[in-house]
Amino acid sequence: MRRIPRLVTPAQQERFHRPGQIVAAVGGLLLTVTPFLPWAFDSAALDDMTVYGYPSPLQLMALLLGVVMLALLAVGEWLRPGRRVRIAWNRGAKAAGTGALVFVAVILAAVALELGGLVNVTPGGWLALLGALAAFVGTRLIVGGPPPAVERAKVPGWAGILVIAAVMAVVLFGSAYALNQDDGGTFVAFLSFLGAVIAVLFRTGGMGLITVIARAHRKVLILSAFVVAFLFPFTQNGSDANMSIATQVLIFAATAMGLNIVVGLAGLLDLGYIAFLGAGAFTAAILSSSAFSTVSWHPPFIVVVLVSGTVAATLGLIIGTPTLRVSGDYLAIVTLAFGEIFRISMNNLDGTNGPNLTHGTNGIPGIPDLEILGFNFGDTHTVFGITLGRFSNYFFLLLFVVAVIILIFVRLNNSRIGRGWVAIREDEKAAEAMGVNVFGLKIFAFACGAFLAGVAGSVKAHADISVTPDQYVFLESAFLLAAIVLGGMGTVLGVLVGATLLKLMPEKLRFVSDYRLLIFGLLLVLMMRFRPEGLVPNERRQLEFHEEDTELAARIEEELEETGAMKEATR
Amino acid sequence: MELFVQQLVNGLSLGALYALIAVGYTVVYGIIQLINFAHGEIFMIGAFGALTTWLLLGSASSNTSVWLLPVMLIGGILAAVAVALLMERFAYRPLRNAPRLAPLITAIGVSIFLQEAVRLFYGDIPGFPDAKLAIPFPQIDVVTGPAVVIGGVVIQRAAIFTLLALTVSAVCLFIFVNRTRLGRAMQATSQDPDTARLMGINVDRIIMVAFVLGAALAAVAGLAHGLRYTNIDFRMGFLAGLKAFTAAVLGGIGNIAGAVVGGLVLGVVEAMVTTYIPGQFGGSAWKDVWAFVILILVLVFRPQGLLGARVVDRA
Repeated sequence: MRRIPRLVTPAQQERFHRPGQIVAAVGGLLLTVTPFLPWAFDSAALDDMTVYGYPSPLQLMALLLGVVMLALLAVGEWLRPGRRVRIAWNRGAKAAGTGALVFVAVILAAVALELGGLVNVTPGGWLALLGALAAFVGTRLIVGGPPPAVERAKVPGWAGILVIAAVMAVVLFGSAYALNQDDGGTFVAFLSFLGAVIAVLFRTGGMGLITVIARAHRKVLILSAFVVAFLFPFTQNGSDANMSIATQVLIFAATAMGLNIVVGLAGLLDLGYIAFLGAGAFTAAILSSSAFSTVSWHPPFIVVVLVSGTVAATLGLIIGTPTLRVSGDYLAIVTLAFGEIFRISMNNLDGTNGPNLTHGTNGIPGIPDLEILGFNFGDTHTVFGITLGRFSNYFFLLLFVVAVIILIFVRLNNSRIGRGWVAIREDEKAAEAMGVNVFGLKIFAFACGAFLAGVAGSVKAHADISVTPDQYVFLESAFLLAAIVLGGMGTVLGVLVGATLLKLMPEKLRFVSDYRLLIFGLLLVLMMRFRPEGLVPNERRQLEFHEEDTELAARIEEELEETGAMKEATR
Repeated sequence: MELFVQQLVNGLSLGALYALIAVGYTVVYGIIQLINFAHGEIFMIGAFGALTTWLLLGSASSNTSVWLLPVMLIGGILAAVAVALLMERFAYRPLRNAPRLAPLITAIGVSIFLQEAVRLFYGDIPGFPDAKLAIPFPQIDVVTGPAVVIGGVVIQRAAIFTLLALTVSAVCLFIFVNRTRLGRAMQATSQDPDTARLMGINVDRIIMVAFVLGAALAAVAGLAHGLRYTNIDFRMGFLAGLKAFTAAVLGGIGNIAGAVVGGLVLGVVEAMVTTYIPGQFGGSAWKDVWAFVILILVLVFRPQGLLGARVVDRA
């Protein structure tokens, strides 16, 4: 693991601990007071920071960071760390100080950019920066103390469930708030606030505590996560604009999750995965009752879903059977070629260059809304006085699809098949020698991933109304791959985070849209160089990328033994 | 018959382009078993390097005399080699011992990054055309111009140039690999890097040489592409790279002679398919599909390629 560079040596920290506390406290007080002052001269910047006495949401966040830092400092001063369970208060204060500085700096930079120059920052804003700076310098000077140790913490059941509920509520309102920010600067500032909060949680050991709780109440956690996702459309006050983005995010996440089985679990690099999504979408479009459909068979949607999945899986088998026998590198390039074949074929099947199946570059427009059991997805519905539009309906359907895919993913991962995949991924030859059916499992992973993409595609066709070949280009495959790499290969949470970030960023940060791909290419390279295991790593996977980390290896081995012993006991 | 010869010539000249790029895939793969996805972009950079040289030297007087050709070639090669070396040093070398997935993903990242860098920033250089659209490539005297007609078969001058460039490059490459110390060291490294290291070969340097070699040939191909198609754009490397990889696999990846043969065969097959496949699936609209179908068929029936891969599957 990479260490955060030390600005101040431990010896200096010992010496300056007390002055550091004082400086940080002054900084924290400034941070709590200045939000009541205006920060900008013009209300157009960010979320109106010109009012005396009433902090704007962003200013409240600065206040929160300041208060949290003061509280952590105070607790760290008066509470001696326990021996068995230890929360690193001072380390958290350090993270809060750094986070506050970054946050305030981002805000001032955004104000300067949006209003044209730093002259638009009021003395209040400068005072806040001074406070953040003091908080940063002060917290750097204090002694951090030992790292947190919370693995053995015992949390009573009710408290655990309360924590989960609180976390989920924060997630719900946080994402609703973030999605409603149309201003790029506000969005970036909110992200940096989020980063600061997460950093504080990690440094204090709060994240570890949450992990412990999550492990104890896994079912409650998953259920509440879906409840939160289910409640999300109700926070939008009937507006469909954000729900459209949310729908796109879910389609992307569902597809990425399918690819995660192929890449993350089985370790097969599939660069033409978008073609399977496209195969599903085109199948669904052709079988739909659109006026541009080219076949006369229009079965009910549930049949269409299965047919779409089967078509995609069949294509997967055709591509996979020859390629999976040879070395893994070939698969990457053949799937890439397959993606091209798919795109070109869909363009060519327009009636002049080939049989008319897809109307070529025009694709198939006018796909009607779904109707399942008399429920039309195009209608708006009013539930508890809140209007739910068309995209909300698709959102619920996609939520269900994502849930099913996650279920399949998790169940496969914890099965004999999943263990076979891990074995293949880590060492193919050793796995074969141990009697793992390497070829069979690989082809199963590949076909299974293709099937799920086909299913996602069939929903996408209806949600998007039209299907055209240019939606299924190589870059989209690369994006899916990036979501997995960014989030963490082989994890559910990581891929959801990665997919959300990758899909949301370009929507909210219009000003970088031209540089989107450049940043994205760079991101892939840098991730592979510095954090190949992703933002939310799977520990086993992390070990593959950091073989020299013996501590991690020992921990994983211990865990494996524990689960093995548990299985033995229940047998 | 005339049609057949015509298509053969067309195919060979197209194949020569593929062959020049394919060598880059094969030498790098032969030594570090890495599919350098970004190699197609090196080809593109080579073309832009040549164009840049012309813009700096000849565009003011719209000079197209033939002495500019070698200068443009050197310019293209310098640009391609520089980018390839930077890429090797900063993207691939740190991942030398990482799991195989890591460098592949890095390669995709590099590929997208290079494309976008050219698209966004090439036009920002004062006096340079906007690279968001296709840029017309200067047509140099002697190597472009009215086609040569021999017995009813039309041969474009750029095609002759491409074939000539391939022949010269192939001969140079052959001499380099088999007759020079560095070339033999390269062969040794590709057979067994660990033993090669024990024998005192600087493996890092050999890897750099492989990248340089591939980049130089790709730059030659880039120039030839510009002359042949009369314009270049930032996307040109993607499909060309994919085809060249197909050619490398067709010939047997890791085998330099195989890359050349594979490129020529692929080019000829593509040209023939365009003419001789009857019905709706023939014609130029489907030629790329057929090229990739060949890739898949080769993997089914002869994964070691036409001439046999020098590297046995070490996955």
